[in-house]
Amino acid sequence: MVARPALRRAIPSSLRSTSSKLLHAESRISRPFSTTLQSQQKPNNNNNSVPEYAIPDPARPTHFGFETVTEAEKRERVAGVFTSVAESYDRMNDLMSFGWHRVWKDHFVASLNPGFSPLTSSSDPRAPQHILDIAGGTGDIAFRMLHTAHILNGNPDVRVTISDINPAMLSVGKQRSAALPASQQAALSFLEANAEDLTQTKPLGANQVGYSPTTGVPDESVDLYTVAFGIRNFSNIPAALREAYRVLKPGGVFACLEFSKADAHPLFNTIYKQWSFSAIPLIGQLVAGDRDSYQYLVESIEKFPSQEDFRDMIVDAGFVVGGKGYEDLTGGVAAIHKGMKPRRK
Amino acid sequence: MRPSPIPLRRAARQILSSSSTIRAAAPALPTARRSLNTSTSTTGSDCTCGNGSSRRPQIQQLPKQQQHQQRSSYHSYDHPSSPAAFTPVEESILSVAYQHVPSHGFTSSALAAGARDAGYLDISPTILPEGAFTLIRYHLVKQREGLAARASDLFGGEGHVGARPGLSEREIKARVEAVTWERLLANAQVIGRWQEALAIMAQPSYVPPSLKELALLSDEILFLAGDSSVDPSWYTKRASLSTIYAAAELFMTNDHSPEFMDTRAFLNRRLREVNEVGGVFRNLREWVGFTATAGVNVLRSKGVRI
Repeated sequence: MVARPALRRAIPSSLRSTSSKLLHAESRISRPFSTTLQSQQKPNNNNNSVPEYAIPDPARPTHFGFETVTEAEKRERVAGVFTSVAESYDRMNDLMSFGWHRVWKDHFVASLNPGFSPLTSSSDPRAPQHILDIAGGTGDIAFRMLHTAHILNGNPDVRVTISDINPAMLSVGKQRSAALPASQQAALSFLEANAEDLTQTKPLGANQVGYSPTTGVPDESVDLYTVAFGIRNFSNIPAALREAYRVLKPGGVFACLEFSKADAHPLFNTIYKQWSFSAIPLIGQLVAGDRDSYQYLVESIEKFPSQEDFRDMIVDAGFVVGGKGYEDLTGGVAAIHKGMKPRRK
Repeated sequence: MRPSPIPLRRAARQILSSSSTIRAAAPALPTARRSLNTSTSTTGSDCTCGNGSSRRPQIQQLPKQQQHQQRSSYHSYDHPSSPAAFTPVEESILSVAYQHVPSHGFTSSALAAGARDAGYLDISPTILPEGAFTLIRYHLVKQREGLAARASDLFGGEGHVGARPGLSEREIKARVEAVTWERLLANAQVIGRWQEALAIMAQPSYVPPSLKELALLSDEILFLAGDSSVDPSWYTKRASLSTIYAAAELFMTNDHSPEFMDTRAFLNRRLREVNEVGGVFRNLREWVGFTATAGVNVLRSKGVRI
C-alpha cells in the first residue's frame, strides 16, 4: 500500500486518457488469459483439457486493485478486506449505491425465477432444485432465492447452499438467517469453500445437507450457480468458471451479477467514476473506518473485464449463452451474465 | 431512416438485372454470378428465387465482423441475409416450447415445459434474454421466414415469387393481398393466445423489436408480391401495409367466423381504402401542380419575371 497516495493523486485526472491506456497495457501483462487468442486456438471447447491459465497457480501474477500480486497473495488480501468489512458490509452497500443494489439483486433473482415449474399434468410438476450461491456470505441473494422459490412459486423443494471463502462473511449471513421462517432456514446450508476448487469444502455450523467435509460439491449436482458481486475478487476467474461448469447439471444455469463497464454513456460514466473513486473510499473511511478496503473495491471494479470479454470467458469455459449473453443494469454499472451448461452429446 | 439509398440502390440493381430473361436463358450466367460472390457460399436449395437463380445469397461462412458490417434492414440482393436470429441452443428450447403455446400461451410455463421436453432443466430457459417475449419473437421470425415458401406455393413455383417484368399494378396488389392473408393464416394456430402476445409486445421495452419485426414483415410481403418501386412510395407502401397488417391481426383475434372470412373481408376493405386514399392524393397533387404552373404562367403573362 506504499503506492496508494501517489495513486490517489493520479486517478481523477487520468480517468479518461492516460491511465486507461496504461491500465489496458497492464491488464495485458498481468492477466494471463486472453480470451480471443484462446478461442482461436480452441474453437470447440470440450472441457477435457483445461488450459494452463485456468489451473490455479499460487505464484502466477494477477491484480489486486491496481497492484499486481500473485494469486496466493490476492487470496490472502481479499480475505483481509472482507474480514474487515464483514460487519459493515450491508450498511456500506446501501450508502455506496444509494440502496440501488437491492433493485439489482431483486431483478437478478426475479429474472432467474428459482423454483418455477410449468403446470403440466404429470404427477409432480414441482421439480426439486439445488442452488449454489457462491461468494454469498451475507445471504442477500440466497434469502431472496428462498423467498421467490418457497413463497412466490410455492416450491418447498428448493434448497440453497451459501458458499463463501470467508468465514467472517458467512457468520454474518448465518446471523441474519435467524430471522427467516423455519422452513426456509431448514433449506439453507452454509459452506466454507474456495470457488476455484469446490472439491475441498468445510461446512459452517451443523445444518448442512448432503455434504461431508471430504467430498466437496459433487459433479453435476447443482441446478443454479449464482455469484453476485463476488467473481471479481477471485484470484483465478477461469478456474472458478470451470469449477462452476463441473458442479452444474447439464442444463444448469450459471448466473453472475457483477459491476461492469458503463462506457456506452460517457457523461454518466464520468460522474460514476468520480463518485466511485472519490466518494466511496471516503464513505468507507467515515462509516467503516477502513479506507483501503474500499479503495480496493473500486479498483477491482475498474479492473474487471468488460461485458463482452467476460461473456467470452464464460463461453470459453464451455457454457452456451442466449442472445448477446449479458444484460446491462443501470447503463452498465452492473451487468447480469448467464450461461447454460449444454446437454451431453 | 436513410432517405434515398434504398430506392436508388434498388434502381441500380434493376438496371443491372433488367435482363433477367437473358440470364435465365443463358445457363452460364448464374455460375458467373456465383463467382462474383467469391467469399460467399450460395446455398441454392433453400432460396426461393425470384430474380434469376439466387434471390438472397445465403452467407454462412463469413467471419462475424463482416456479417455485422453488411447487414441491411430491407430486402436486399446485395447484402447477405442477417445471421440466424437464434443460436442452436435457443432454437432447441424454443422449437419445443412453441408446441406448448396453444395450451400454455406465450408464457414462461411454455418455455419451462419446452425445456423439460428438450431434456433441459426448469431453470434452463432463464438464459433466454427476453423471457416469454423470446417465444413471441420466435413465432414472428419463423412465420416470416416461412412466408417465402408459402408464397411460392401460392404463385406456382419458385420463379414466380418476387419482382418480375410484366406484373401489372393490379396484379401486384392482388398478390400483396394474397401473401398478407397467408401470413395472417399462420397466426391461426396460436390465435387464442395472440391477444396476450400483443399485450406483451406492447410493453415499452418490447415495442422497438416488435415494430422492427413488423417492418421486416411488410418488406418481405411486398418483396414476395413483386413490388419493385424505387420512389418515395417504397416507404408509404411499407408503412400502410404495416398498419393494415397490424389492424387485421387485431381484428382476427376476435373473429369467430368460419375460416376467418370476416378477417379476409376486413383486410380487403383496408387495402381498397389505401388505394382510394392514394388515388385522392395523386389527384390532389396533380391539381396542385397544374394550378401552380398555371398561376406562374399567368404571372409571367403579366410581365413578372419568374
